[in-house]
Amino acid sequence: MEAKYEFERKFRDQVLRCSSCGFCQAVCPVFGLTRRPALNARGKMLVLKEVMDGTIDLGDELVETLFQCTTCANCATNCPSGVDVPEIIKMVRKDMVKLGSCHPAFTGMNEVLSKYTNIYAEDEPEDFERERNRQAEYVYFIGCVGSYREDEATMGTLDVLDRLNVDYTLIDEVCCSGVLEDVGHQINQGLADKNIELILATGAKTVITGCPYCFRTFNNKTQYDRLREAGVKIIHISQFLKDYDLGVKTNKVVTYHDPCDLGRHCGIYDEPRETIKKIAPNFVEMPHNRAEAICCGAGGGVRGAFPGNSIAMARRRLEEAEEVGAEIVLTECNSCVHNLTNGRLRRQKFQIYTTTQFINMLAEGEED
Amino acid sequence: MKDEIKRELKEIVGEENFTDSLIDMISYSRDASMQKHRPEAAVWVENAEQVSALLKLANREKIPVTPRGAGTSLSGLTVPIEGGIVLDLAKMNKILKISIEDRLVVVQPGVVYTALEKELTPLGFFFPPDPASGKVATLGGNVATNAGGIKGAKYGTTRDYVLALQIVLPDGRIMRTGSNCMKSVSGYDMTRLFVGSEGTLGVITEITLKIDPKPLRTATALATFEDVEDAGRAVSAIMRSGILPSVLEVVDRQCLIAINQNTTLNLPEVAAILLAETDGYTEEETEYQLDKVIEIFKQNKASSVRRAASQEEATALWTARKSAYAVMARVNNGLLVEDTTVPMSKVAEMLKAVEEISQKYNLKIPTVGHVGDGNLHPTISFDRTNPEEVERVEKAAAEMYDRAIKLGGTLSGEHGIGLDKAPYLKWEHDEVAMDMMLTFKRTLDPNNILNPGKMALEY
Repeated sequence: MEAKYEFERKFRDQVLRCSSCGFCQAVCPVFGLTRRPALNARGKMLVLKEVMDGTIDLGDELVETLFQCTTCANCATNCPSGVDVPEIIKMVRKDMVKLGSCHPAFTGMNEVLSKYTNIYAEDEPEDFERERNRQAEYVYFIGCVGSYREDEATMGTLDVLDRLNVDYTLIDEVCCSGVLEDVGHQINQGLADKNIELILATGAKTVITGCPYCFRTFNNKTQYDRLREAGVKIIHISQFLKDYDLGVKTNKVVTYHDPCDLGRHCGIYDEPRETIKKIAPNFVEMPHNRAEAICCGAGGGVRGAFPGNSIAMARRRLEEAEEVGAEIVLTECNSCVHNLTNGRLRRQKFQIYTTTQFINMLAEGEED
Repeated sequence: MKDEIKRELKEIVGEENFTDSLIDMISYSRDASMQKHRPEAAVWVENAEQVSALLKLANREKIPVTPRGAGTSLSGLTVPIEGGIVLDLAKMNKILKISIEDRLVVVQPGVVYTALEKELTPLGFFFPPDPASGKVATLGGNVATNAGGIKGAKYGTTRDYVLALQIVLPDGRIMRTGSNCMKSVSGYDMTRLFVGSEGTLGVITEITLKIDPKPLRTATALATFEDVEDAGRAVSAIMRSGILPSVLEVVDRQCLIAINQNTTLNLPEVAAILLAETDGYTEEETEYQLDKVIEIFKQNKASSVRRAASQEEATALWTARKSAYAVMARVNNGLLVEDTTVPMSKVAEMLKAVEEISQKYNLKIPTVGHVGDGNLHPTISFDRTNPEEVERVEKAAAEMYDRAIKLGGTLSGEHGIGLDKAPYLKWEHDEVAMDMMLTFKRTLDPNNILNPGKMALEY
């Protein structure tokens, strides 16, 4: 039988390979919150099996489950059958969009990025009081969330880079548009080209990203091949910082939330911890950490499309921070900071920062 | 299902706890078996009163109701084969009481095994029957299937720990069985009737479980055998020795080969390996027991014996056993995990029978198992899109049941009968026993609304 959809051509064997054991229920953040098997990875694979069998078609009735996945990959990490659920979901979303079945929030995101240069449809870029587009050893690439929502965190990071005398420049960056791949659309080549040209023009050999998702996009997506072919290395700020003597310390109880994009998707677990342990001897792990870390609920377009559930997932994550008595929750992703901060309850007195922002606060005596 | 019924269901559980949407019906159409059938509606319940109201309605309207925990059944127990309503108990997930003095816990049926473990570990206690699916499986499901686990030989199965139950009967009446006492001979043991009844007699809404102090130390050893019969003799000798290992597992040659083909573990491809763990409160205690086990391994021609000197080494020795499931799950797109069980003295014979069946039907049937309690897991990876191969798998499974029963064994050690094994139940039980099971079912559930189609209870 001729495959009807692209996901089927690419992932038929993987979808069939799901043995329906249900082990993903233990780790799926959406299931953990809703207790609804249809929203778990197994539920999604069962839906896709029926689509492949021809008993149902892709369509609007499936949006609620197929578009409600944070692509955190915890299911894939724990799947005995080795099913790469996030990749399958991303491909299915493309099939759905082709058919005109898409969550309106995702359609909106694509439209915004065809008109604007950032996902928030902001006209004016945030002014970070730094020279842009100059010749430098490094480009610091902020990302949309760091530019428009967590600008204080970004300011802190830039201050740290200054204090370490790093020769870096900002550029007139535009959205890397990697997120469009997650929500059924394609990376906008025009935006990618703009970033590539601006980076290459600085002569920098290394791009430091503040955002793990931009890091993944630059490193893995074909639209950014030209950047890598030019010999430009892309590293995440956590990899950059780990070799520095930061000269600050705190006695507070500090924990670390592994962003899915940096942890499970890139395997970067140690570098952030090396830095944090240098500055915070009272470091504690949350019960679920590293590859087992629970998603903050923001990824895969879920924050835009299902904001209520997204915030509730953040709250579930923060329960663990509370459980270990953390005073400071650090992470390496502005999007996680944003969602976790939105999810924090009034009684929860801990503060949530990116590691570099916190380092800067220590240096400036705002935290001790 | 009539709109009027749906409206009544919504009144009982609340609008937000009712669904008939396509995605939910599909997700409730399956469990971890190959069985499949969609319900017409599903509800999440929050208390026994809601279950009672729902069953009264279903009984009045003669609508099938299939209770469900995490849906990890390997034999189709939770597939709503006759449609109707799926009763999802996963939201009833509170641990109601932990009483160390009385050595018991009271839980709702939707509590996941590991959630209870997390509470008990810091107190130095545990609930021993730990199914491999423990991080997702619910305790209600464990009771309904009388789940076992890796420590069955020493610690028994779920039924050995259920002290009392709250049950909603098919007519909606709420009943308490059992007692909070460690000893009780007060009336018929109705608790035991419901343990392992697979949701066919009533819906479990509260469970009182006995808990055990958790031994502080373990010791582990691995032995390789060139002949399955030597491994079998070693198991029998361990049984005779009076030592009761906390874990005694076998991994057979086909399984070792499958692991080697799919990992870089490079295991010895011997006829079988045996893994033993002993537990206790002092090092002397665990080592004494393990010394005996190792002695027995050697006396029974083990070709090599390794003893773990540290926890890390112990973990390494367990790698083969622990990686087996994930390896088999990846070999092909179909997976049948059997739980054929025989008396411990017949383990070697059953392993040989599996080998013969494997050749006869041209199927690879790697086997691991809890030999300490005679519970084997012959596992068949197959192509589920190939009807001819599926047929061979079904025939091979039936022949395994037949051979096990002839060896004095049983159809199911811990997964239950459900749909997969229903046709074979009469092979194991005589006509009178089958008739009595039906009599119990008819008496409690005259309209056959609770999990109909399971356990060969047709009428």
